[in-house]
Amino acid sequence: MSAFWLYVFTLIFFLFDYFILAMGLNIQYGETGILNFAYIGFVAIGAYMTGAVSMPNSVGTGQHYILGLNMPFPFNLLVGGLSAMVVSVLVAFIALRRLRTDYLAMVLISLSLVFYDICNNYVPLFNGADGLYNVPSPLAGVLHLTTNSFTVVFALLTGVISLIMWWIMSRITRSPLGRTLRAIRDDDGVAAALGKSVFRYKLTSMMIGSFFAGIGGGLIIQFNTSFNPSAWLPGETFVVFAVIIVGGVSNNIGLLVGSLLVETMLVHLVAFLPAIPGHPGLILNIAAMMIGALLMVMLWFRPQGIVPEKLRRSPAAVAAATTSTDYAGIDEGVSHE
Amino acid sequence: MSDQSVSRADSALGCQDLTKSFLGVRAVNGATFEVPRGQITALIGPNGAGKTTVVNILSGLMKSDGGTMHLESTETTNWESEKIARLGLMRTFQLSRELGGLTVLENLLVAPHDQPGEKLFNIFFRPGRVTKAEKAHVERALEVLRTYGLYELRDSRASDLSGGQKKLLEISRAVMAGPKVLLLDEPMAGVNPALIERIGGYILDLKAQGVTVLMVEHNLNVVEKICDHVIVLAEGRTLATGRLSDLRENKEVVSAYLGEVIDAGAIS
Ligand SMILES: Nc1ncnc2c1ncn2[C@@H]1O[C@H](COP(=O)(O)OP(=O)(O)OP(=O)(O)O)[C@@H](O)[C@H]1O
Ligand SMILES: [Mg+2]
Repeated sequence: MSAFWLYVFTLIFFLFDYFILAMGLNIQYGETGILNFAYIGFVAIGAYMTGAVSMPNSVGTGQHYILGLNMPFPFNLLVGGLSAMVVSVLVAFIALRRLRTDYLAMVLISLSLVFYDICNNYVPLFNGADGLYNVPSPLAGVLHLTTNSFTVVFALLTGVISLIMWWIMSRITRSPLGRTLRAIRDDDGVAAALGKSVFRYKLTSMMIGSFFAGIGGGLIIQFNTSFNPSAWLPGETFVVFAVIIVGGVSNNIGLLVGSLLVETMLVHLVAFLPAIPGHPGLILNIAAMMIGALLMVMLWFRPQGIVPEKLRRSPAAVAAATTSTDYAGIDEGVSHE
Repeated sequence: MSDQSVSRADSALGCQDLTKSFLGVRAVNGATFEVPRGQITALIGPNGAGKTTVVNILSGLMKSDGGTMHLESTETTNWESEKIARLGLMRTFQLSRELGGLTVLENLLVAPHDQPGEKLFNIFFRPGRVTKAEKAHVERALEVLRTYGLYELRDSRASDLSGGQKKLLEISRAVMAGPKVLLLDEPMAGVNPALIERIGGYILDLKAQGVTVLMVEHNLNVVEKICDHVIVLAEGRTLATGRLSDLRENKEVVSAYLGEVIDAGAIS
């Protein structure tokens, strides 16, 4: 297979992977209003844990890491997602209970910096600054895949996983739970006055979003077979924010569009462009500036994003909450005056 | 000081010696009153008397610095607002706080407590139960919207409503939760006379359904027409309680509050 197609499938992988990441951040920020500036930390937890459980015992590998359980795909990925979710519970109890949104954002960003330093410097955890490498590729043994065909198969597999996650997420956001989260986003004082346990719902939202983050991270380490601190600089969180703000907060199609524009085109496509002679890295820096500029332009001229949030109008609002078999019955009940 | 005019047994809601300061400003300074069950009570007093602050404390939105309060026989001092709401106390806000990104219908659908569809487990494993509850809530919400004249606006974004429509939305959202006690903070402020009339009617209907209402109101015509009982608040203290006609005889009350209004001819 030509290098061209490898590039294409790498781009496809990141398109779908960032779609998953964007959905996770969107339920926290877009649906619930939680400004989670530590999001990339949850992605990292998912990546590291997926890697650490799928690798063999660390003795003799030349790397240092915890666990090493030879766990096969997709169980390792689930561990990644669940680990991020468990950590989000701890973080929620520290940061989400009393703090106002702006303080919360600062606490979260501090926590992610602390966690970053720990991963970067404390070698026994996830091999410090070198990070994990030689992570076994899933299915490669089973399907007798070469490195190239693995790229294709895994990119497509990630597409399938992202569709499943999309189905799960739409089901949540269209349910009464999603509606209550949006009520909290719009005015948590009103939600509390209506008897909603604001903390409990924010916790639920954090957990769901972090699970998506962990899965997205786990897929990254499987795709790249390595993961280290240079892959998740805390600023990466803002790339995911850019994806959802450019694409459209609280609209899944918008998230896919945002992922295509920001992640696929601006982050990864440019990474494959040949360097400008004499200026290595210049293109990447220009791309980073373009993301920043795009974000500002969007916030200024079209804050709702390219594909804005849809109002959930009544038959839909009803169907919405249900998406299930007896939808027809409901429609009847509603349309009558 | 304790409120003699309503016995604790007949009271749905009440407070004793509530205090609350903001950076040295004593907004509430010993407010004490009981709200008679099943009646409409007006909370009146000059601007800045502490009425909204009292409502905020009673509904749990703010913590008092001192004093106690109760809802029916339950001591609710310093409870979280979500807990107080679950006991059956609903409130509206002086400056409307609609859930702007939701439709009018959705604003109401948020209100019912403990919806099966608010639990992840039910969404994925008991969709039938979620659907059934949702159907019932939608039917009830549409009925409430019809009652309050918002039916045609059910699919509008709540933030697009006019000021008066937002007042109606606030009341209907509170009603949707099935309150036992309703606190209304100036439900008729900034509303045209025809709508004032209508809102007055709605409040009387709620009383007929057994809801206890405490409403902050400046318009004494309205108080005269629909309220059974009046609490006068001045400088954070309860100045007097009783029927409006009795309060007119009270010199202290007249000079603190009613005087200016009566002189201005607001009471016909
Ligand atoms: N959040 C706050 N921070 C600081 N001061 C406040 C706050 N809320 C109220 N106050 C002050 O407390 C006093 C009482 O205010 P409150 O809103 O309770 O009055 P009110 O009786 O509702 O008046 P109005 O009839 O104008 O609505 C005022 O002096 C006000 O400035
Ligand atoms: Mg007020």
